[in-house]
Amino acid sequence: MTDSPEGQSDVSLEKVFYHRETTRLVHWREFSGARTAVLLTLLVTVLTFITGLSTLSQEKLVLEGPLAAVLPDVTGVVRLGGVLFAFLLGLLVFGLHRGKRLAWYLTIAVLPVVGLLPLLTLQTTHMPLLLLILGALPVLVINRAQFDQRIDLSSLQVAALSSIVGVLVYGTTGSYVLRDQFTAIDTWTDAIYYVFVTIATVGYGDITPLTPETKWFSLSIILLGTGAFTAAIGSFIVPAIEKRMATAFGNMTPSGLNILEDHVLVLGYSDITESLLGELAGERDIVVVTADKDDAANLDDRDVSVLTADPTDEDRLRDAKIETASGVVVATRDDAQDVLAVLAAKRTNPDVYIVAAANDQHNTAKLEDVGADEVISPMAIGGRILGRVEADCPPPTAVTLVVPRHRTAPGDAHTKK
Amino acid sequence: MGIEGASAVERFVRKVMLPVCILSGMAVVAGFFFPEFVGDGVSGRGWLIVSLLFFGSGLGYLAVLPMADGHNGDAPPVHYLMQVRRLSWTETLRTFVARHDPLTFGVPVLAFGLFFVLQYLFPAATLSVVDSIQQYVMGWFDWLLLGTVLLSVLYCLVLLVGPWGDIRLGGPDAEPAYTYPVYFTMIFTAGIAAGIVFWGPAEALTHYETPPPYFGVEAQSDAAIGGALTYSLFHWGFSAWSAYLVIGLPIAYFVFQHGAPLRVSTILTPFLGVEGLDSLPCRLVDVLAIFATIGGIATSVALVSQQFLTGIDFQWGVEYATLGPVLFVTGLTIVFVISAQSGVHRGIRRIAGVNIVLFGLFAALLFAVGPRSAMLDRGTTALGSYTLNFLPMSLSRGGEWVTSWTIWNWTWWFSWAPFAGLFLAALSRGRKIRTVVLTGFVATSLATMVWFLLLGTTALHLQHTGATAILESMAAFDNPEAVAGFSLFSTLPLGELLIFLFLALIIVFIASSADTSTLVVAILASKRDRAPTITTVVFWGILQGIVAIGVILTGSETTLQATAVLTGAPFAVVVVLSLVGLTFTFLRDERGHESLLAKLPTLPFDDVYKE
Repeated sequence: MTDSPEGQSDVSLEKVFYHRETTRLVHWREFSGARTAVLLTLLVTVLTFITGLSTLSQEKLVLEGPLAAVLPDVTGVVRLGGVLFAFLLGLLVFGLHRGKRLAWYLTIAVLPVVGLLPLLTLQTTHMPLLLLILGALPVLVINRAQFDQRIDLSSLQVAALSSIVGVLVYGTTGSYVLRDQFTAIDTWTDAIYYVFVTIATVGYGDITPLTPETKWFSLSIILLGTGAFTAAIGSFIVPAIEKRMATAFGNMTPSGLNILEDHVLVLGYSDITESLLGELAGERDIVVVTADKDDAANLDDRDVSVLTADPTDEDRLRDAKIETASGVVVATRDDAQDVLAVLAAKRTNPDVYIVAAANDQHNTAKLEDVGADEVISPMAIGGRILGRVEADCPPPTAVTLVVPRHRTAPGDAHTKK
Repeated sequence: MGIEGASAVERFVRKVMLPVCILSGMAVVAGFFFPEFVGDGVSGRGWLIVSLLFFGSGLGYLAVLPMADGHNGDAPPVHYLMQVRRLSWTETLRTFVARHDPLTFGVPVLAFGLFFVLQYLFPAATLSVVDSIQQYVMGWFDWLLLGTVLLSVLYCLVLLVGPWGDIRLGGPDAEPAYTYPVYFTMIFTAGIAAGIVFWGPAEALTHYETPPPYFGVEAQSDAAIGGALTYSLFHWGFSAWSAYLVIGLPIAYFVFQHGAPLRVSTILTPFLGVEGLDSLPCRLVDVLAIFATIGGIATSVALVSQQFLTGIDFQWGVEYATLGPVLFVTGLTIVFVISAQSGVHRGIRRIAGVNIVLFGLFAALLFAVGPRSAMLDRGTTALGSYTLNFLPMSLSRGGEWVTSWTIWNWTWWFSWAPFAGLFLAALSRGRKIRTVVLTGFVATSLATMVWFLLLGTTALHLQHTGATAILESMAAFDNPEAVAGFSLFSTLPLGELLIFLFLALIIVFIASSADTSTLVVAILASKRDRAPTITTVVFWGILQGIVAIGVILTGSETTLQATAVLTGAPFAVVVVLSLVGLTFTFLRDERGHESLLAKLPTLPFDDVYKE
């Protein structure tokens, strides 16, 4: 045989089997981010609700799972638990979406408890839930670091919450101890029921105080309880309204940002930012960091995530999650600002791919020196477009420059340095 | 190929599939979770249709989803569909014809046409002719098939241990483009269809009822259990998978080391040279490969549709007429055509992924709820018996039983070998021959054997202890193997879940084989310097569907299966030839490789001996 291994390769082989560099069974990176974790928890929530309703609709509920023998009889809990857990999980998903650490801890604690339900009933309808929980837990654990937002409570909120807890404890203990002086309190459940009915000002009237002592006691619960509730509602709603007002005036804060991954961070607002927004719209999340409140309010009206902050401030770049960004575009209206912003970006995430836009062509080299991976200057770009057309390549746009940081594909090799 | 999912047709398919999938999915969820409220509102047939719509549209949608990184400049060099779309119909037709080799395209199409005409006009005569030829071949050439299979197993072992296993396909610097999980998954799911699902419980049960003469035990006795399990391991284990390897490996070697075309006939390279591969004998080999593949897949599709519906009938009493299987095959064809045209990296990879996940899930679940101690006990005994009796079983010939089971089985595997082997070869660039053998021969066999042990031991344990009468419920049906699974799972905890998974597995297993076979046939039928276009792939996919429907309508499953099996026999001859050629090529061109034994770490006392 005279054929060499370098001989011409089969057409079908190249076109059908080998037009891609590496093929994986599952592109884990796509499916294992913090967003997936939130999405999976949301799915668990929906499925918990449906499964819970399905359990509720069964007139005869028999626990025949492997855990039913170990645990005490919890048929009642299983019957109602599903739907209630779904509501709790719904709240937690909201917290996870905001990247809250507390929500993460609670979810990690609640999911295994929800997972007990299928193991108690061992019904076919419960198995999808079990499988989904088994899938969601590892993804949540892997992305632990992404949920790092503390819950910042003002002193008023802390005071209101603790007084509610205090009133509940006081009321429940008191009514249980004084149960002989009420019409129908016999158990702890009755005591809790009485306190809630009283504080919520529902007052069914099935339980009433009989002696002056318990009447004074009930009055104190009503006053303290409703007071605490009102204070709590006020302390949570007023800041939310204030935040909306502030947003309207362009004062965005990092707490308004949701979980961010593979997003493009745009430092500064200028014409280049504008064209980038147009090209990336719908494809990639963008977060613009600008100190100009008018620009911020303007962008916020168009549903672009904005952080009103100095783009050269490292702490604020961390607020905008530069660690997980897929790329940074530096495009303020001032090249000196650009240099500082590039340096700030490099200091906070040395590996991030930075594209800088020089306002003055003379500053191109300086921006490269301070660490920009690619520098475009509006003056030079026209010439480059002409050059690319001749070479039959698409011209580089800010999009092709920034997006392919992680996903290297053969077609974008020319945009790499 | 529609690699990136950018074409208008695909966008349309996505737009249709998604609402269908969501709507039917909602109906399925409602019926699944709230049977008390909605269960009676819809008939059993309605539920069947809704569930199949849900599952099928889900698979189809998954197949045509664009690649996640497809939108940032990773455009394929030429987009064929875009080219075709601008042309008129006549021009499209002309391009279609021009891309095809008249011989490899025309002969199979004509042959299948002729087959159906004969079958329609003289059904009895055709059957008897095919039957007598098959009897003759299997009766007289049984030694050839037995010998080839044993030779294949031995050859695989030599490659695994010996120095040639060290050859890296595509040159020493070649890098594999497929990661190991996807490599194994696609080979495994392409090589085996729904047979593994149906016969998993059924094969051992059948041998338990009618024990193989080799073991000479009493039917339905305790001793029959061991023999039945051993023979089901034998029929689906190493011997079976070696057939794919001995076709695939020579193709891979000559394609990647000598620049031969990706064809089945490439295995004849040592005798004809790469330049001689356009000669008539080679093209006949390719024609035979296409015929075997379409025959094999189409019969499988037709049989699976009937087995599936028989199972449904048994379990839920939903009866069906001829229309049922025809609709089922039509739906299945739509799914595998969509998957095949979307390419190896999208549909074929994803459906294979779904398949392997469901497969693992089912096996894990069965192990969790099944009779574990019996599984482990009987399973290890059967493995020991398989090892001990492997050689005698491989050489045991003669007798009605061996012909109708072992010989028939080997020819069936050989008729699938051209397409499965070619696919194995195509994915193997950058892999060492040892890895190829380890994957396509060892890993796949082990996965299949574990499956057969899990299902076989469970079925036999329940049958033998009298917990359930699977054999009795099987007896009432024309294709008893379809019923075994349902009868078995009903007695286990979580039986409903097992049955749902079982049904899903049947569909994905056949889809993941049929999409690959469609692609391979399209490659074989295209001219040597052309890659198959979407039109070509769709054409061959639909042809497979039409043949399957034709088989159902004319009631010729057995006849076509016998014909497809007949094509397996010539491949046994081709395999022997190619192995001889490959060995001579290895001896001449591939010296200086290290065997696995030479790579073993030196033991401390080796030095002592040297001194």
